Amino acid sequence: MLGFIAARQAGLDDPARLRRAEATRRVLSLELNKDRDVERIHGSGINTLDIEPVEGRYMLSGGSDGVIVLYDLENFSKKPCYTCKAVCSVGRSHPDVHRFSVETVQWYPHDTGMFTSSSFDKTLKIWDTNTLQPADVFHFEGTVYSHHMSPVATKHCLIAVGTKSPKVQLCDLKSGSCSHILQGHRQEVLAVSWSPRHEYILATASADGRVKLWDVRRASGCLTTLDQHNGEKSKASSEAANTAHSGRVNGLCYTNDGLHLLTVGTDDRMRLWNSSTGENTLVNYGKVCNESRKGLKFTISCGCNPEFAFVPYGSTIAVYTIFSGELITMLRGHYNTVDCCVFQPNFQELYSGSKDCNILAWIPALREPVPDDISEKSLSQQHLNPAYEDAWSSSEDEG
Amino acid sequence: MDQRLAELVEELTTSGEQQLEPGRMRELKKICKSSDEHIGHAYHLLMTRLNEEHAEIRFSAFQIVHELFTRSHQFRTLIISNFQEFLEFTVGIDHEQPLPPPKEVAQKLRRAAIKAVQDWHEKYGEAYKKLSLGYHFLKQNKKVDFQDVSARTLAERKREEEKQKRLDNIYKEKAKRAETEMAEMSQEIADTLTEMENCFQLLMPDPFDFTVNDTELEPNKQTIANEDKPASPSSSQIALHPSYFGRVDDEQPCCSKDLLSVSQCVKTGRNEELSEEQEKLEQKELDGGTHSELGSGVPALNDDDYQTFVRNHGLISHKYTLDLEISTDIKVHENEDNTAIINNIMDAHRLLRNKFLPTVQSWIQLFTRAGVNDDRLRCAIDLKNKLEIAMKKYKEMNISIKERKRKVMKASDDDDDDNEDDEFVEVPEKEGYEPYIPDHLRKEYGLEPPSPPSAPTRETSVGPALQSSWPQPKGNEDELDPTCAAATLKLIRDKLPKLPPPYTSKSATDEQAALEEPDSKTRKLAEERAKAPIMPFGLDLHYWGQDQPSAGKILKVSSQHRFWAPSEMEEEVENKEVTEMLKTRYITFAGKFEPVKHKCRAPMPNGGLCERQDRIKCPFHGKIIPRDESGIPLNSEDRAREEKMHFEKQAAQPEWRDPEFMREVEAATGVDLGSSKNNGKGGKKKGNKKKYPNLTDLKQQANTSRSRLEKKVFNKGAMKRVVKAMNRVDQRKHEKFANQFNYALN
Repeated sequence: MLGFIAARQAGLDDPARLRRAEATRRVLSLELNKDRDVERIHGSGINTLDIEPVEGRYMLSGGSDGVIVLYDLENFSKKPCYTCKAVCSVGRSHPDVHRFSVETVQWYPHDTGMFTSSSFDKTLKIWDTNTLQPADVFHFEGTVYSHHMSPVATKHCLIAVGTKSPKVQLCDLKSGSCSHILQGHRQEVLAVSWSPRHEYILATASADGRVKLWDVRRASGCLTTLDQHNGEKSKASSEAANTAHSGRVNGLCYTNDGLHLLTVGTDDRMRLWNSSTGENTLVNYGKVCNESRKGLKFTISCGCNPEFAFVPYGSTIAVYTIFSGELITMLRGHYNTVDCCVFQPNFQELYSGSKDCNILAWIPALREPVPDDISEKSLSQQHLNPAYEDAWSSSEDEG
Repeated sequence: MDQRLAELVEELTTSGEQQLEPGRMRELKKICKSSDEHIGHAYHLLMTRLNEEHAEIRFSAFQIVHELFTRSHQFRTLIISNFQEFLEFTVGIDHEQPLPPPKEVAQKLRRAAIKAVQDWHEKYGEAYKKLSLGYHFLKQNKKVDFQDVSARTLAERKREEEKQKRLDNIYKEKAKRAETEMAEMSQEIADTLTEMENCFQLLMPDPFDFTVNDTELEPNKQTIANEDKPASPSSSQIALHPSYFGRVDDEQPCCSKDLLSVSQCVKTGRNEELSEEQEKLEQKELDGGTHSELGSGVPALNDDDYQTFVRNHGLISHKYTLDLEISTDIKVHENEDNTAIINNIMDAHRLLRNKFLPTVQSWIQLFTRAGVNDDRLRCAIDLKNKLEIAMKKYKEMNISIKERKRKVMKASDDDDDDNEDDEFVEVPEKEGYEPYIPDHLRKEYGLEPPSPPSAPTRETSVGPALQSSWPQPKGNEDELDPTCAAATLKLIRDKLPKLPPPYTSKSATDEQAALEEPDSKTRKLAEERAKAPIMPFGLDLHYWGQDQPSAGKILKVSSQHRFWAPSEMEEEVENKEVTEMLKTRYITFAGKFEPVKHKCRAPMPNGGLCERQDRIKCPFHGKIIPRDESGIPLNSEDRAREEKMHFEKQAAQPEWRDPEFMREVEAATGVDLGSSKNNGKGGKKKGNKKKYPNLTDLKQQANTSRSRLEKKVFNKGAMKRVVKAMNRVDQRKHEKFANQFNYALN
């Protein structure tokens, strides 16, 4: 670290280099911190989390009882110990609360004045954050599994919605109507995601095992269908042709540069695709346990040198390096299945929501104390935490 | 040291005790204290023990964990790093992985674990984030009530609630059904109850209800212990005039005693009717010209008058007291007049006892269980009370029933007797044949009356039955049946018309003996008849004593054909079998089963005696021979034979392999030479030693009848057999109908 700073000061290094190195170090030291807590509001499992991209300060969470809570993540107390407060919430008593489980929440990418939520009650709601009233409601035929708004779009204002029907719907916020229908999937669409690189490119994942890339300007069909075998085997077995996974595909995530796409499926696999060619990069992540029947929200770190993927793995969160497929660590802390996690890029924090109603904050561990004043420090630490002391009885034969 | 640690953990966890053994525990703690490495090792060992599918092992392991948790920070970090798993093993938070049996220990483990988690949380919760998370998880998600003693998780509580709900629903349903049933049945029950009540009324009027016509009911009310014992020790029998005595008899069992005056007697009479009768008696006495005041053996009395009176009334003297004992316990005897009523009442009672009462009780049970607490329950209880009252009343009635079967069987005999009596009463010549019976012989005749007209009263035991006249022609029908005893009697009677017929079988023999007439034959016959078995009527009886010349002959008709005829043909073929058939009767004689009383009692290697009860031969010890207490044969040859066999057996084994010797050697050297194996059957069990004798054997518990049956039924071989058989059946169908398209297809 000091070396990096010296090099940075000397102008030997690119400033980004120091930043990357530090970010990577911090991500690697993520742990459950006793100083950071998230207020317990939800009375049931948490399906979805989203941190607004503008400031990275507010986080939305959607529970399986329809409740949406807005948290303030920033710590202004100047103390290490901080509990993330719930700023406001759409509780059960709210007149416009979702009747069933909220599957996805997303901030409006450019402003915190608005957010969207979709639910199993077959609606997509556009909320005004300040009044906490729905500004608009879209109704659908089937339950809504997932929706997404393009983070980079400037020319359109479309929300892609994956529902129980195999047709992907595009809702235009400008007109307040469903403008497009993308046909091609054969079963329900579990996950949708806009490319962070090209504003018209949309990726959708379905229960039929296919992942399709669309250019929404071309309504006639999809650009490409991702094939796990890269077209090699598809000639032999027509049935398995053009499937991204052998099971349902329930998670989609673009890397931050939009060059690659990660997908997870119920075949317990995770695959990395080249998003421009639609090619399977054949990175082997090993078994990624995935039993979810719904969409799974996983996330990718931002600003690290090898980028990391944080993927719910049963009641733990697995951390993989994206391009080598190496399992770095398992974050253990939840007591039930983890459904979603979201990365806060500014402070390299990770928040995860689980069926055990907890939102856990994974905070980078503090630096180890500097070696030269070890005795003093360790003593003070001992004093700080009497619980860490051993309590062996003093007498020799007592043990 | 690691080795020792593993040993210690194993020993501690397989002890099966509720408390850890302090000595070993101290040693374990000492080892753990020495370094963090050992703690890590101990942690892994303990986690594997916690994973064991036995609640006792888990419980002991948990206790060790608890001990170490409070002592070592390192251990705490390790445990908490894997706290989910720890909770799974001890609290059983995962539904797919419930705590293993035995159940009581599992409950205890859960309680202890929850309490420990609470304690830990209080003490270390701040420092260890995951611990507090786990605590909150238990508290909020699993809804573990930390105050709850039983420490049930939410799922369990829910399950129980659901079970309760289901049961409630079932009960409600049942209660509804019972309600409709009750509505249907209560009418029936009420009817039966009224019927029974009416029967009671008829049978036994309310003792205080005198408005009921007594005379009409009296015969039903009480029957009679008719033996009016002669008060005086004189041997002469008394016969009362039926018209008079019958009535007294109807009243009460009465004892006659000497009485000073009739007037007193009148005073003592408690019953009105009785006093009437007494008055009647007095009247008669007066008519007879006697005076009650005269006392016994009054010399002034006219002898003739006295005699006639005595004869007429069957009285010996005038000194009678009538003591009436009105018994408080009611006893209803069945007689011809109330048979119908009693039958009716018994039917009703049976109905009540067997059908209504259980049903009503089940209703009440159902209603109480379903928590119904309204009119329905009250109604059911009312019904039950009514039924019980009726039952009680029936019991109090003490109805003594004649044995029906006997009555039916003997009916013809009785009829005969009665008829005969009647006949003989009517036959005038009979008087001539009635021998003169001297006074001193009279008692031998039982109640034999001295004068013919009073003959019927002899049969007073029949009571009112006598008065009701029996249908006359019935006997004649019986007599027509050749197999019937009545016919035989008739025959005898015809042959020996001059003999007085037997009265009742009992008194008849006496009588005949007394008469010393040549009727000994008849008596013998009667005896034989009593002995003879009753056989069903058959062909042999039909042709009894007749010769059947044509029997067993088969006649063949010669062919009527013009050309074709058998060369020679016997016209008649005698078939012996057929002939025999008409004369034989098959009586199956199976003999009687006699249970075996003796036992084999051969000495067994375990010191006991063989308990098998075979008739002739024991499958293990050969022919059963008499043996003494210790199992040694009583017969000397048997003893010799057995000893010889024993020697031979021993000789077959080399001497150095003598089991006792081997055992001694083994004990001395500590090397297993296989003496137990050599011991044959006994050794099998010993080799099968349990690994951890202190733990509860789970397999033992699973050894229920159900599991045993399951083992049999779901046995692979059995399943295969069944499948094979089913396939074969299927195949057959295919073969049969293969040419039909719809069978060929499937």
